[in-house]
Amino acid sequence: MTSSAIDPVELARCRRRVFLALFTALAVALHTLEFLLPAPAPWFRLGFANILTLCALFLFDGRAAWTLSLARVLVGSLILGNLFAPGFFLSLAGAVAATALMTGAREMFGARLGPVGASALGAVGHALGQLLVAWLLLVRHDGLWLLLPFFLLLSLATGLLNGFAAALLIDAVRGHRAFARPAAQDAPP
Amino acid sequence: MPLNRPLIVVLLLVLLAALALVKRGGREAELREGRILLGTLVEIQVPRGDRAARDAVTAAFAEMARIEALMSPHRPDSDVARLSAAEESLEVAPDTAEVFALGLDVAARSAGAFDLTLGRLKALWDLEGDNPRVPDDAEIAAALEGIGPGALRLDGRWVSKARPDLAVDLGGIAKGYAIDRAIAVLAGAGIEQASVNAGGDLRLLGSRGARPWRIGIRHPRSAEELLATLELSGRAVVTSGDYERFFEVDGRRYHHIFDPRSGYPASACQSVTLVADSAMLADALATAVFVLGPEKGLALLTEFPGVEALIVAADGATHATPGLAELKR
Amino acid sequence: MIAALWRRMTVLDRFIVALLLLGVLASFAVLGRQPAGARVLVERDGRLLFSAPLGEARRVALPGPLGDTLLEIADGRARILSSPCPHKVCMGMGGVFRRGELIACIPNRLIISIEGGADQGSPAYDLLSH
Repeated sequence: MTSSAIDPVELARCRRRVFLALFTALAVALHTLEFLLPAPAPWFRLGFANILTLCALFLFDGRAAWTLSLARVLVGSLILGNLFAPGFFLSLAGAVAATALMTGAREMFGARLGPVGASALGAVGHALGQLLVAWLLLVRHDGLWLLLPFFLLLSLATGLLNGFAAALLIDAVRGHRAFARPAAQDAPP
Repeated sequence: MPLNRPLIVVLLLVLLAALALVKRGGREAELREGRILLGTLVEIQVPRGDRAARDAVTAAFAEMARIEALMSPHRPDSDVARLSAAEESLEVAPDTAEVFALGLDVAARSAGAFDLTLGRLKALWDLEGDNPRVPDDAEIAAALEGIGPGALRLDGRWVSKARPDLAVDLGGIAKGYAIDRAIAVLAGAGIEQASVNAGGDLRLLGSRGARPWRIGIRHPRSAEELLATLELSGRAVVTSGDYERFFEVDGRRYHHIFDPRSGYPASACQSVTLVADSAMLADALATAVFVLGPEKGLALLTEFPGVEALIVAADGATHATPGLAELKR
Repeated sequence: MIAALWRRMTVLDRFIVALLLLGVLASFAVLGRQPAGARVLVERDGRLLFSAPLGEARRVALPGPLGDTLLEIADGRARILSSPCPHKVCMGMGGVFRRGELIACIPNRLIISIEGGADQGSPAYDLLSH
C-alpha cells in the first residue's frame, strides 16, 4: 500500500476530520451511557467523555477540543431528549468551563502540560461550572455549596483516572499507522 | 497493556450497580405516611406495620383525594366549582350533599357567622393565591351582596342558589369531612387505632396503645409553647388560628378567617380549638366560634352537646367550655 | 497503577494536581462538617410545603409536576425513597441530616433542606393541633 501520491497536508486534514468525527461519536456514546448508568450520587458523574476531548486537544489543538465538547453536549442531549432542559444547561456549563480551562492551560504551558494535569483541571472546572449554573438557574439555596467539597474531591479523582486513560489512548493513537508519516508507511509490514 | 477489556467493563458495571444498591433496607414498627392533599400535609398514623394496615392507609388517602376532587374550588369539574358556575340549582354527589346539610345547619344556628357562600370574597382577597391584597370597600360590599345562610337551599341532593352569582366555598368544612371519611375507611378496614392529621386538624381512632392520645394545642402567639395538652380517644380536634395563613400590609396582619358580616378577617379571637366527635362539625364550629368571639361562641356551643372548646380571645384571655378541664392532662 | 499514573504525569501535571488537592482540602475545611440539624423543610418554588422534626420517623408523598416523590425521615436522616424524575439524582443524594444540607429534585421542583440546631428531644404530645 502506498500513499506517497497523496499530498501530506491534505492527508493530515483528512485524518483530522475522520478522527474528530470518530472521537465525537465516541464521546456522545459515553456521554449518553453515563446518564443511563445508575448514579449513586448526583456528583457521581465519571466524565468519560472528557477522555475524547483530551485526545482532540493533545492530538490536534484547542479548536478541535472545543468543537468536540460542544458537539458532544448538543448531540448527547438530543439523544437523551433533554435539549434546553435543566440537565442540558448543567452539561453545557460543565463542558464549557472544563474546555476553557483545558485549552487555556494547554495554550499557556504547551508541552509542559500532560493529559493528566489537563484532565484534573478540566474535571474540577466541570464541577465548578455545573455547581455555579445549578445555583444560578435552579437552586437558589446556599446549602448547595455544602456539596462543593465532595463534588470537587470526586471530580479530582475521576479527572486523574480519565487523564490516565486519555494518556494511554493518545499514545496508542499516535503509534497507530494512520498517524504515522506517509514515508514510514512505505516500509513493508 | 495486557488488560482484559471486557472483564474490566463488566467489573466496572458490577461496581456501579453495587454502589447504586448500597443503602437499602429498614424496618418499621409504626406506619406514619403523609401526602399533600387539600392544600396541606395530611398524615395518617397507624401503630401497625403490616400489609393490611398499609393498604388501609393507601385507601384512606385515596378517599381523601376523592373528597378533594369533589369540593376543591380550584378544580373546574368539582361540585363546588360547578355549583358556583351554575345559574340556579345543581344535583351534587351524596358526599357534597352531606357537607352542605351540616354546613347549612351550622350557618343557620350561628346566624351566618359560619358561611358557605364566601367564594367571591375569598377570591377577592386571594389569600391562598400568589398575590393577596386588601380590597377596597366597594369591592367588599359587592362580594358580600346576597350571601348568608338563606342564600343556599338543600333539597335531597339538589342545591339551589338564591342568586346566580353566588360562589360557594367549603373551605371551613371540607377538610373536616375528608378527615372523617379517612377515619371511616380505616375503621372499615379493621384498623382499631389511628390518627388522621390534616395540617393540625385531626381525628383519632381508638387510643394510642394502652393510653389515650395526647394532643398538644399550639399557643397562638408562640409556636414553641403549648396552650394545653388534651388526652383523647376517638375524637376530633380542630384549631382555627389567625397565625395559620396571613399576609401583612403596612404592619397590619390579614388572616384567612373572614367575618361574613364585615368582609374583613375576624378579629375577636386569636385561636379557637374545638373538640367534637366528627372533624367536620369541629371544623365548622371552630370557624363559627372564631367569628362570633368567646361569649357568643360559647353560647352557641351550648346547643351542641359533647362539644368542647378552648378559645384565646383577641386580648389573650383564654375561655373554655366547662367540660374541657376533664380532657386536660 | 498509581506508579504508572505518576510516570505519566509531567512535572507541571504534578504541580497542578497538588494545587487542586490543596484547594479541595481547603473547601472541606471551609464548608464541611456542619452540626446535625433538627427539622426537615420541604419547599417548592420558594414556598414551604411543610416541615417536620428530623427525630420522628415518617414517610411523605410529595406531589410534583411529574408525580409523587416519596420522602422518608428515619433514623434522624431524610432521604428520597422513590421519585418519578428521569435520572433519580435526588435518590442518589442519600440521607441528609446536617444543618444546611439539602436534597434537590429539580425535575419535580422540590427542595428538601435541614435547618435548626440540636434536636430538642421528643415532645410531651403525640400530635399537635394548630
